[in-house]
Amino acid sequence: MQYSQKVLDHFMHPHNVGKMDNPDATATEGSPSCGDQVTVYLKVNHDSKVIEDVSFLSYGCASNIATASIITDLAKGKSLDEAKAITWRDAMEALDGLPPVKVHCSVLAADTLQTAISNYEIAHGLKEVPNFSKDTILEELKKIIYPQVGEDIVSLKMVKYVGFTDGEVLIDLNMMSFDSWRQNVAEEIHEHLEKYPEVKKIQINFP
Amino acid sequence: MKPGKIYLDNCVTSAMAPEVLDAMLPYFSEKFWYPGSFVSTGESANEALAGFQQVVADSIKADAAEIHFTSGGTLANNIAIKGLAGALKGGHVICSVVDYPDLLTNAAYLEKQGFEVSYLSADSQAMIDLTELKAAIRPDTVLFMTTIVNHVVGTIQPVREISDILAAAGHKIWFHADAGQAYGKIPLNMQELGIDTMSISAHKIHGPQGIGALYVRKGTKLGQVIHGVKRVDGLQTGGLSLALIAGFAKAVELNFSDFEGNVARLRQLSDYLYQKLQEKIPYIELNGAPGEGRAPHNINVSIDYIEGEAITMMLDMHGITVATGSACASQGLKANYVLMAIGKTHVQSHGSMKFTLSRYTTKEDLDFTVDTLAQITEELRSRSPLYNALRNQER
Repeated sequence: MQYSQKVLDHFMHPHNVGKMDNPDATATEGSPSCGDQVTVYLKVNHDSKVIEDVSFLSYGCASNIATASIITDLAKGKSLDEAKAITWRDAMEALDGLPPVKVHCSVLAADTLQTAISNYEIAHGLKEVPNFSKDTILEELKKIIYPQVGEDIVSLKMVKYVGFTDGEVLIDLNMMSFDSWRQNVAEEIHEHLEKYPEVKKIQINFP
Repeated sequence: MKPGKIYLDNCVTSAMAPEVLDAMLPYFSEKFWYPGSFVSTGESANEALAGFQQVVADSIKADAAEIHFTSGGTLANNIAIKGLAGALKGGHVICSVVDYPDLLTNAAYLEKQGFEVSYLSADSQAMIDLTELKAAIRPDTVLFMTTIVNHVVGTIQPVREISDILAAAGHKIWFHADAGQAYGKIPLNMQELGIDTMSISAHKIHGPQGIGALYVRKGTKLGQVIHGVKRVDGLQTGGLSLALIAGFAKAVELNFSDFEGNVARLRQLSDYLYQKLQEKIPYIELNGAPGEGRAPHNINVSIDYIEGEAITMMLDMHGITVATGSACASQGLKANYVLMAIGKTHVQSHGSMKFTLSRYTTKEDLDFTVDTLAQITEELRSRSPLYNALRNQER
């Protein structure tokens, strides 16, 4: 497994690193038990809605630090609407790629940025707190990377069924019993969905 | 920076001693023969092989006939475990959750073959519980396996006490031991330990890669695992390099010529390393047993609030090679199973660093490593949300 020179550069000399004093919005995603956690801080111009400053803190591996560094570079100076269009694929591309098992780091970085923006918008009355629905689950599943190939499980057509009734999430996954990534993917799904208070129970079925 | 300028991952493999290369060269060129009878070339190889067997046997107080050369420790473990299982046909096997993967994967294989396996737990220092062992023994228990020195945290299992318990069972329980990390680091006396089969490896003690040995106590019956023509040894049939065996024997001579001195020096260095780590890096803790309870070449610590892959990569850029138990550094994205089994948290496992020293490690190497690691820790902690949260709490 090799990192690109860009990843190494951003890992050794990350941009926009450090805690921000008096940020306009912040978000923390990931969990130490999964080995990675990112916090993003935003300073937003209230009139122009431009991200004037952005910084991050990262507990995690080299690619976790590098993806947080690049995502803050990509967001700096952008309007909120422009920044909302930044995805993990943009981060990957800007870093000249990542090893497949590390793609989930770019998802975490992009996710944290998006949550920070969303927190800003909610706090400033720019949007309502979104209702939790089956679509929310589907959006979250698009952020789960199958580590073998570095693509998300929805694009890979591994998600066969998603249901949500009375706080119970039901997901059918097309992953064979000999697939050594089953546990990783299941843990990731739990991590992504358990943060919603609407989710009381998660049932994942394999063939 | 030259890769591996300071190499502190000697539990994986160690630098070959120059004397070992010299000892091997004749067997790669003019003395390329295999053992044989009635011809001078074969007889010469016989004689050389017998000499090498004797050297290895002496190092563990065994008989030369009890030493079987193999293509490394894993081959030795497989030949012993599958060989014992083949002779036993079925029954109950005991090992522990902190054993070396060779033993655990073989245990899983035995389960598929119809054996029942009990996995003993380990305490917070990776020591197996002898009371639990006593309770696990059944009338149909046929095999016990252990890793004498734990490959992750260096804890030494109480082998003598274990064999006393096995002997008191009232029926024969075969005892297989993996000595990959123990051999050359702690005394192993086959006259006293009650072990039936034991695997050792050359390249962990500055010998060549690709050669090891299996000790098989006289009277132990092993089913044949590797079928083929006997060239060098009847257990691993087929060709085995006499040159590698010559190198192995030389490495053994070098290691055991001043065994106590070597061990004392390693102990002194690793004590020094741990002391220096504690002095220079706050929020650090030892994994495994302290002091004499661990092998003299292993120091495993968890550095709180930062992650091991990032640390090892930064150390690598300074020419320092160490290992980590972080999930992020593993291909399977799993936290180290030994650390998890001894009750460490995910965060402690992610931040774990394993330093394994060798005869060639110097005090200067360790000074440079700890100073560099202290800087790296400070840098990574300044980026860490966990560390920042801690600092906020302290304020």
